[in-house]
Amino acid sequence: MKKLYLIFLALIAACALLSGCGGAPAAKPQAPAGDPADIKAIKTRGVLKVGVKVDVPKFGYKDPKTNKIEGAEIDLAKIIAKKILGDENKVDVQGVTAKTRGPLLDTGEIDFVIATFTITEERKKTYNFTEPYFVDGVGLLVKKSSGIQGVKDLNGKIIGVAQSATSRKALQEAADKAGVKVTFLEFGTYPEIKTALDAGRINVFSVDGAILAGYVDDSTVLLAERFSPQEYGIASKKGNDALAKLAGDTIAEMKKSGELDKLFKKWGIS
Amino acid sequence: MGGTSPLAWFKWQALFSDWQVFAVGFGETIIISALSLMLALAIGVLVGVLGVAQLAPARAVNRVYVEFLQNTPLVIQIFFLYHALPHIGIMLPVFAVGVLGIGCYTGAYMAEAVRAGIQAIPRGQLEAAYSQGFTFSGAMRHIILPQAKRVSFPPMTNQVVNLIKNTSVMAMVAGGDLMYHADSWASTTLHYAPAYVVTGLLYLSLCLPLATYARKLERDLEGGL
Repeated sequence: MKKLYLIFLALIAACALLSGCGGAPAAKPQAPAGDPADIKAIKTRGVLKVGVKVDVPKFGYKDPKTNKIEGAEIDLAKIIAKKILGDENKVDVQGVTAKTRGPLLDTGEIDFVIATFTITEERKKTYNFTEPYFVDGVGLLVKKSSGIQGVKDLNGKIIGVAQSATSRKALQEAADKAGVKVTFLEFGTYPEIKTALDAGRINVFSVDGAILAGYVDDSTVLLAERFSPQEYGIASKKGNDALAKLAGDTIAEMKKSGELDKLFKKWGIS
Repeated sequence: MGGTSPLAWFKWQALFSDWQVFAVGFGETIIISALSLMLALAIGVLVGVLGVAQLAPARAVNRVYVEFLQNTPLVIQIFFLYHALPHIGIMLPVFAVGVLGIGCYTGAYMAEAVRAGIQAIPRGQLEAAYSQGFTFSGAMRHIILPQAKRVSFPPMTNQVVNLIKNTSVMAMVAGGDLMYHADSWASTTLHYAPAYVVTGLLYLSLCLPLATYARKLERDLEGGL
């Protein structure tokens, strides 16, 4: 019995030790001239690693026919890769979810997250965000048979949202304003929310409008109403400040030249 | 601890100020565990006894139930109850989905523990009971099961530990349990590291005492045999 608790204590001690080491690598010496350490690391590696969505058509979507991940956000990743490495094909994209994007950034497994990642004040404390490259509103997808026309019809309804939950806050505020009571259920992935809507577990599927557009079918309708703008930014790890600046400058330049608008137009996103 | 660490102090502060989120989930996990345990025990004794019955159809019921539930993932069973049943007009509340799903699943393992316990009792006991005029169910209740209990208890206690950990699948169907609230809080705030460390410790606080108790039962049993 005593032994057991000793093992338990040792585990906790190991936990504390590990967390202590977590902060250490920030103290890497910087190269005297040329590139800052974070950019140099990517040049040495020869490839930029980016986390993207694989289930959001037009933004980041893995086409089951070609098995390739494509979308406007993948194009953004290529543009940044070209800037750092001089070749837009030197980019390695991998799918991330709300649950994996944070840990993958922290471990250095990926350099950037470009995956419909909404900027919030609280999140800025944890990661570096660029200025928004796209602004979208939270939308409502309902069954045609439900007769729901807008927020005012939502009294007593159950709303399915994704676990990243910025849409939850936005919708709660809209519901409060309209004086209606709603409850929320959170799911891990978008297809799960759609399944719950089909099963009648929830009355409304609510995430960012551009994402919802990919889930409209014969039995459902996407309402025109949009709520509090969701600003998507490129996220990177705190401490990799040169990387964050480079991504930020890239977005700013593309905005100025109109290239950013062109990119989203090319994918049919407005 | 530095501001960039996944375990940075300000993230812990955020967690402590939102402690109710975790308390609500912890309470829900305990309630779902307790109710599904009762269901699992009832199923376990019933189906376990069927497994040693003389009637072949009764034994067949035991085999089909046990093999079917043990050899399909719990997640699929929960998804079936949650997403599929509404399409044929049965809308169980998510709480009932949890109790029923986890109870039935663990019941299969309990049944195997009960069956093994009964089979560990020498056959002469049942024959002696019959010779005294006991029926099958009477003999089971008064003679066999009280003895089998001692053998079955340690593995059953281990199944309770599994049951508690398995309630975490409720997170996948917005079940309101500890894991659901941990996921929700972690993905909103992005402070995933403190969230899952605390959640792990909370599960540990439920399971470790039970596992320790199971080990003690096992030791007692070894002494007794």
